[in-house]
Amino acid sequence: MNVPTDHVLALAAVLFALGVLGFLVRKNVIIVLASIELMLNAANLSFLAASRHWSQDALAATHQPSAGPIFAIFVILVAAAEAAVGLALVIALYRLKQTVALDGVAELKG
Amino acid sequence: MSELSPYLADLPRLAPELLLTALALIVLVWDLVLRGRDSRKLGYLTLFGLVGTGWLLVQQWHAPTSTAFGMVVIDRFGTFFKLFTVGALAVVTLFVLSDRREKKHGVGEYFFLLIGAAIGIFFMVSTNNLVLLMLGLELLSLASYALAGFHKGSKRSAEAALKYIVFGGLSAGVMLYGISLLYGLTGTIDLAAMGRNAADGSSISLAAQFTASPVPVAIAVVLVLAGFAYKISVVPFHFWTPDVYEGAPTPVTTFLAVASKAAGFAALLRFIGALFMAEGVEVAVSAYAQRIGLLLALLAAITMTLGNLSALRQTNLKRLLAYSSIAHAGYALMGVAVMTSAGFSASIFYLAAYYLMNLGAFGFLLFFEGVTGSEDVDSLKGLGWRYPLVSCAMVVMLVSLTGLPPTVGFYGKYLLFYESVDAGYAWLAVVAALNSVVSLFYYFRVAKALFLTTVEDKPRVLQPVLTGIIAVLAVFTIVTGLFNRPLQEWANAGPASLHIPAAQK
Repeated sequence: MNVPTDHVLALAAVLFALGVLGFLVRKNVIIVLASIELMLNAANLSFLAASRHWSQDALAATHQPSAGPIFAIFVILVAAAEAAVGLALVIALYRLKQTVALDGVAELKG
Repeated sequence: MSELSPYLADLPRLAPELLLTALALIVLVWDLVLRGRDSRKLGYLTLFGLVGTGWLLVQQWHAPTSTAFGMVVIDRFGTFFKLFTVGALAVVTLFVLSDRREKKHGVGEYFFLLIGAAIGIFFMVSTNNLVLLMLGLELLSLASYALAGFHKGSKRSAEAALKYIVFGGLSAGVMLYGISLLYGLTGTIDLAAMGRNAADGSSISLAAQFTASPVPVAIAVVLVLAGFAYKISVVPFHFWTPDVYEGAPTPVTTFLAVASKAAGFAALLRFIGALFMAEGVEVAVSAYAQRIGLLLALLAAITMTLGNLSALRQTNLKRLLAYSSIAHAGYALMGVAVMTSAGFSASIFYLAAYYLMNLGAFGFLLFFEGVTGSEDVDSLKGLGWRYPLVSCAMVVMLVSLTGLPPTVGFYGKYLLFYESVDAGYAWLAVVAALNSVVSLFYYFRVAKALFLTTVEDKPRVLQPVLTGIIAVLAVFTIVTGLFNRPLQEWANAGPASLHIPAAQK
């Protein structure tokens, strides 16, 4: 079964759009962080689709098909680190304010 | 072994980065061994390591441009920003050590995180490889998130860190998706290869895609620029800036406002320089670059106007400086928008000036937090007469931030205005000049509070280290304003090492 590259890219674009939408409309910090993960994974999917496209015989010699998966692995690493720091900060804030809603934090204004 | 030797041969060229990494690990382990006692020792060790790194960087300045591991470009452009980063970090370390409100123990991670952020900066300003650019940027970001939330018990600090990571995560996602599109369009993650023309037969070129698929290219470029816009707090990605700068501990705010922002600019300059302006790019690319330039010029105008107008109504000095830093990002972006070699030089010069005057201004803020325990402009009333040296130094910084002679800020703005008029952006220069007038009002409100009232005597709080730093920075601000030739030559070396031809019209 060979899925056309366009379809994979379209799926990645939809996932990215869903991530942005989730980021904009949801107020719970944990869901917002999950939306960011969705965006990063959309980027990963699009890296892999592009890599598969450039690895076709005629193109592989002049392009870098291996760069896509390498990039995706590093993105996974970054996403994990970001989630670790993000959740740590959520816990720190929850201890102070007993809420994880973005609306609940409003000390800084103006 | 023979296969390994080329890799080992490249290692000495990464000496500054390796030294910083070793320093970060030593600081981390030593902090564990000390169990958080006596963190000041770690601060002194950090300073010592930074001096060593600076010395290695000076050696590299004179070495010819080279590439290590096919990824890390060692050139004068990168070394310029690395040197300023090391200098800013040393000042920030001294700030941490002399912050009267900071604990003297259990703050060892402070130094570890600062050095980690600096390593990120080192890689992001010196690579054409998008993987390494992303990793450097994320290393800087992750360390910054943790630093912004360093005061765990403080609601403001926790909120600042959370806002920072939420918007930072968004920008990272947007930027990475943009990079994935660029990779999809060109099949390479090397900026230099992307920008090169397609004449050599390979289709690795963005130029070929401008005509073939203009819309995806535009989306990809705009998404990546959005990621940079977040780092340098340009409208419409600026809204995190005042909150984070206000909530974070003041030394961290200094680091974010100065080193982190300048590093974002450096990466942006390299990105645009490699893609659109390097030698041998096709006419189609140059034409495209002009359109990107117009977009950046509009953003610069909006950014400086919004920053200055918002700063006008601030009563909190820290927040005022945050909006002022947004405005300055707008000024520095002018030099990028004109898309010429001279414009880039002007931008780099202005960033150097920005380092000097903002380090001084934030040092002043820290000094008076130590004296009054408050960040309000009103609490400064009459303090100018009791702390004349620091206050006069601050007035020098304010003059420079406004852009009046004889300071480095004036000359930097002069260069930016000149280059934008020269490149046909006269309207942008007019907007920037009007903005400078607006900024005069709020900068001089601070000076007025310092000197135009007197208050009853209280015992003086002596902070000799901070006083010394601020005074030295003020002297530098004036001296580099009067004798700007060396700094300008260093700034000119930047575009040259990015292979941007001079006098491109």
